This record gives sequence, structure tokens and C-alpha cells, in this order.
Amino acid sequence: MSADAPAGLVAAIRRSVSMVCDPEYPEVTISELGILERVSAAGDGSAVRIELVPTMLGCPALDVIARDVTDAARAACAGADVSIEVAFIDDPVWTADRIAPSAVSFLAREYSVAVRSRSADASCPICGSAVLEHRSDFGPTPCRSVEWCPQCRNPVEVVGRVDSPTSRIPA
Amino acid sequence: MNDMGEPERVAAIEPTGDPADVPGARDLVLALADDELCIGQNLGWWIAVGPFLEEDLALTSISQDELGHARALYGLLGDDIDAMAYGRESHEYLCAHITELPCHDWAETLVRHFLYDTAETVRWSALADSSWASLGAVARRALAEERSHLRHATGLLDRLLRTDAGIAHLLPLFDQLAPMASELFDAPAGCSEAGLVAAGVMTCELGEQLARWQSIVDDALAPVAYQPQWPVAGPKAAPSGGRAGQRSPHFAALHAEMVEVLSIDPTARW
Repeated sequence: MSADAPAGLVAAIRRSVSMVCDPEYPEVTISELGILERVSAAGDGSAVRIELVPTMLGCPALDVIARDVTDAARAACAGADVSIEVAFIDDPVWTADRIAPSAVSFLAREYSVAVRSRSADASCPICGSAVLEHRSDFGPTPCRSVEWCPQCRNPVEVVGRVDSPTSRIPA
Repeated sequence: MNDMGEPERVAAIEPTGDPADVPGARDLVLALADDELCIGQNLGWWIAVGPFLEEDLALTSISQDELGHARALYGLLGDDIDAMAYGRESHEYLCAHITELPCHDWAETLVRHFLYDTAETVRWSALADSSWASLGAVARRALAEERSHLRHATGLLDRLLRTDAGIAHLLPLFDQLAPMASELFDAPAGCSEAGLVAAGVMTCELGEQLARWQSIVDDALAPVAYQPQWPVAGPKAAPSGGRAGQRSPHFAALHAEMVEVLSIDPTARW
């Protein structure tokens, strides 16, 4: 196998797995959500490792994502004898800052889901109000909390529970 | 490596080996994983029967988180996570008995949840800088998720302890459950705490973690001028029941529920 093969293979697999969509938001890719961290190959290109960052350790979609990523990687290998390893890694920790701006606006527009990251506060995806009232850390999925917009009087789901700005953690 | 200012201890254990091989390190992780598995399974009981909708979602989300933590911890010990979680003999589980309690009374669940999640915060903090790098990563990851668990537990507790009914109902439960929860800081048999600290697997001994946790619980109850009846502190001659592989009477039913599908069809996949 030529010296360029691993780099070419890694690029092909990365292209393929970066198109894998999140089971919860089937139009948004794992790459846009910051779940895909790294694709690397052994020197001779016979083994490829794909590292994913879980949004939450208990996310029930992890197995589905791992399966879809494995399938996408195999498809990119086009029958070549390559062993594929998909690993969920604990470092770095996923935060809402990892979501691409394009996905933030898509989630607001299509799902009425707001994103709160360290760099940008959440606003109401329905009326745009910058003021949201916290209701519960626990929403319909582990990574979404529930807030309330006092302006348009709608409940709002917010992605970013792990990063919630207030913390009562004991020192 | 850790620098605890105790050179004779550090010298006693060669820091060159894999921290996971330090005697007791794997059993400690197994005990924590078993705690998470049982508490997660027990909290899941509240699905669809929580006293109000938000609480239903909260307890079952926390349940999901704890099961995720169990999976991450078992994953440090081997590849076949289901076999570890479901396939062992009951005496091979090392969970503390408090995690096996069904707690089908919501007040009991709340008090246990507060005790357990404050204990976890102390525990994870002592592992966050572990020389067992992947254990440290899991601890830091889990610690980030514990924030919302704690906010949930302390938020409800604070509010309920401002009412006479809440005080009358909750404080006796602390007397019942807090001493039992102390077992969360017991070491499994054959686990040398000093060795684990010297090798940097954890940054402080379990006794010190226990004292830290008790002061957090005491602080939470200070506004109502109450202190749980803590067991007398002191070195333990042997590990307590749960950590020594003795199961409480509740474990059999809990385990049977966990393996219900597997025992019907061992090849079942989710």
C-alpha cells in the first residue's frame, strides 16, 4: 500500500462519517453537533479508529450513533480489508460550544430548540426574546432542559444542561 | 504522579506500573459501577409514576445518567459490559446497600438521592485527577453531569425543609438513610486505601471523603438545626456487608428485574 493510502483512507472515512446524522435530529450531522472528534489510521491503513464525544454518558442514542458511524466507515472503505474501531472518549467533555453555528440556527428554526453555550446565551427560538426563565434541568432528552419564554409564553427546550451556568456543586 | 508530601508512602509503591494494577483499584471501580447500576435501576422505577411531570422526567433522566456512569466505569474494567453488569453471581456485586433499597416512597427517594449525589460529588472529585488516566476522565465527565443532579436534590430539599410538613416527614428519613449511606465510602475487601492514594489512583482516602460528605450533609440540614445520627467514626476492621459481597434482601428482586429480558432471550439486542 502506498504511503499516501492511510491519509487518503482517513479523509474518505472522515468525509463519510461526518455525514452521519444524529438520531434525534435527522437533518443535523454528528460533525455539526461536535460529536465527531477524530479519525485516525494505523500506519499501514489496515485499522481505523473513530473517536466520538458523547453529549451525555447515559445518552441512549450512543449505540445507534456508533452503529451508523461503523456502517458509514465501512461504506467508505469500499470493500478494502480495514478494521474499524468506534470509541466514545471521555476527554474532551462535550459542551454546547461544540455545536456549529449553522446547526444552532437550524435547531432553532426547525425544532424550536435553543442552544446555550459559554460563548452565546440562549434566546427564544420562537419570538427571539433574550429572556428565558429556567423551569427544569430535565427535559425530553438528557441533554435538553426546559425553560419558559415570558414574552411569547411558550415553553422552550434548551440544549446545554451539562454547561448550565448556575451551579450548586459543593466546593 | 501524586505529591502528597509523604515520601515514605510514595517510595513504598513503585509508580512505574499501570495504576489500574494497584491492588484494590479495579475492585474500587467495580464497587462504584455497581452502586451506579443499582441506583440507576432503582430510580428508573419512577418512570410515569413521579408525583409531578417534571419530577418524573428528572428522576428518570438522573437514572439514565447513573446507568451511563455505570457503563463508563464497567468499560474501564473490560469490554463485555453487559456480562459485568448483569452476569455475575450476587456475592460478586460490591454495591453499598443503600443503592439496593427500592425507595418507592418519594420522600425516601429524595433523601437517598440527596445523600447519594452529594456522596458522588465527593467521590468523583477524589478521582478527577487520578493517575489512572481513563478513570480520571470518566470522573471529570461524570462530575459535570452531577451538577444538575445536585441542583435538583438541593433545590427540592431546601424548599421542603421550609415547611413544617416537610421537616416532620424528611428529617426522620435522614436518621434512617444517612448512616446507611456512609457505606458508600467503605473500601472493598483487599483494597488498600493508603496504597491507592500513594499511587495517585485517588487523591484522598475514603475516611477523609466520608468526613467531607458528612459536613456537606450537616451544612444542608443546619438551617433546620438538625444533625443525622452518624455512626461513630473510626477505622473499620473489615469491609461492611455490601462491599464484602453480602447482598441486602432487596437485591434479588432488583437483579431479577434488570435481567428480565436477558433471561427470556440471552441474544436480545436493543
